[in-house]
Amino acid sequence: MFNLVAQSVLSGIGIGAVYGLIGIGFCVIYNASGIVNFAQGAFVMLGGMLTNVGMIKLGLPLPLAAIGAIAIVAMLGVVLERIVVRPLWNRGSTMFVMILATLAAQIVVERITQIMAGDQPRTLPVFTDLPPLRLFGFAINFQFLWILGCSALVIILLGLFFSSTKTGKAMRACSINRDAAALQGIRVSRMLALAFALSAALGAFAGILITPTQYTAFNVGVPFAISGFIAAIVGGFGRPLGAFAGGILLGVAQALAIVLLGAAFKNVAALSILLLFLFVRPTGLLGPAK
Amino acid sequence: MKSIATPTRILEIEGLSARYGHVEALRPVDLHVDEGELVAVLGPNGAGKSTLMNAIMGLVPTQGQVKFRGRAVPRRAPAAAAGLGIVLVPEGRGIFAPMTVAENLELGAYLLNDKHEYARRTARVLAMFPRLKERLAQTAGSLSGGEQQMLAVGRALMSEPKILLLDEPSLGLAPRIIDEILQKLGELNRQGLSIILVEQKAPLVLKLANRAYLLSVGSIAAEIDPRTIKSHDELVQYYLG
Repeated sequence: MFNLVAQSVLSGIGIGAVYGLIGIGFCVIYNASGIVNFAQGAFVMLGGMLTNVGMIKLGLPLPLAAIGAIAIVAMLGVVLERIVVRPLWNRGSTMFVMILATLAAQIVVERITQIMAGDQPRTLPVFTDLPPLRLFGFAINFQFLWILGCSALVIILLGLFFSSTKTGKAMRACSINRDAAALQGIRVSRMLALAFALSAALGAFAGILITPTQYTAFNVGVPFAISGFIAAIVGGFGRPLGAFAGGILLGVAQALAIVLLGAAFKNVAALSILLLFLFVRPTGLLGPAK
Repeated sequence: MKSIATPTRILEIEGLSARYGHVEALRPVDLHVDEGELVAVLGPNGAGKSTLMNAIMGLVPTQGQVKFRGRAVPRRAPAAAAGLGIVLVPEGRGIFAPMTVAENLELGAYLLNDKHEYARRTARVLAMFPRLKERLAQTAGSLSGGEQQMLAVGRALMSEPKILLLDEPSLGLAPRIIDEILQKLGELNRQGLSIILVEQKAPLVLKLANRAYLLSVGSIAAEIDPRTIKSHDELVQYYLG
């Protein structure tokens, strides 16, 4: 029993890291604009789907297909910002309207994908096709290591980007005080487009990492978006590291609920954590971003 | 004190007005600044001084024209205005509190891509405000009010502005600090920098200013030659109409 629980905690950490990456995507856009981008799930779904298409239709090797998919999704992020968010932004629409518009965009992308790619689930091969490692009686599969390693790498690179590059600092400045940033000559709208590109790329990457352990289809985006959203709230909305910690907490809680209470309790656990944080610690693990 | 030839306009504002929704915050205003001038904009609280500054930068929707050295300044594009060399130290300073002092200064030079020039400007700003030098690695939010104002001015100087706009730099500061900051502004002006200085406390700036505009309820009420203002009472007359 102990072994089973420990094993499921491990797998929870893996999927939790993916939720965390999606949650970071929410934070990046939120910090740049104050918008909660509910099309985030579409990026996750497209990451897995486009990589699959690249491998099957174009015969590309996995790494190339993955890089191509991330680049395309990043561009779609910019397109979303240009045709959905910016017109509303320039018109001075309320935040609520822009958030609803991203939700509509999510549905549009989902349906277009269904029309073009069908409704059959697809998957990706595991990155390293070897039997699981045996360590202290636990089976650790290689995809788990890929997920953890890649997430850690992404977080380090993102941290360096925001702390050491001029563009990263400019994005932070926009999130702190948009008008003051503009007064320094920073083009705020360009930073917003960049935030969408970055966030979309993060979502796509998360989708590619998780797909080999599950599957992907036109409609997997929303559940992932909800998990990433909960991760971001648990972490303190707008705090990337918090979102990552929140994702892992969520993944572990779900895994424990499944093994101890049954699979039906997966979503109960997720939403309970959300409610718990909203009631007891609404500022999240790390406190509010601003 | 200025060149003998006809002075050239660095900034010329014609019929500039601004509104927030249905509220007209600034009635059409005309004003100008000559190269090398320090112009004060005075007026009581709520007269529209900050709106005027934000309108010049294009931070708020405006009508009318702003010309910089004869060229129209694009509207609703504060980053473009900054690119021309029009730099505002906004009301409330607008420093990036969670970021370090060094990062704030770096962002002031956002449009600069020359390492040597960047080092030269940093050295110049730190020589002007030595206190910032000791605090480079601290977050800007941990500075005292006076130091924050110095940082806001220093950050603006990092872009080597052609004209510097300051919105009530004295707000909330001790008289000694205000004197220090105004003295630096006077120095900068003597070195040739054109400045618009917005102030509620008129006596502070009339000694420095070449000219002054008095703003009242959203429009220019008077243009004043500071040398003609003999006493505080005389100024009060202006305020009260």
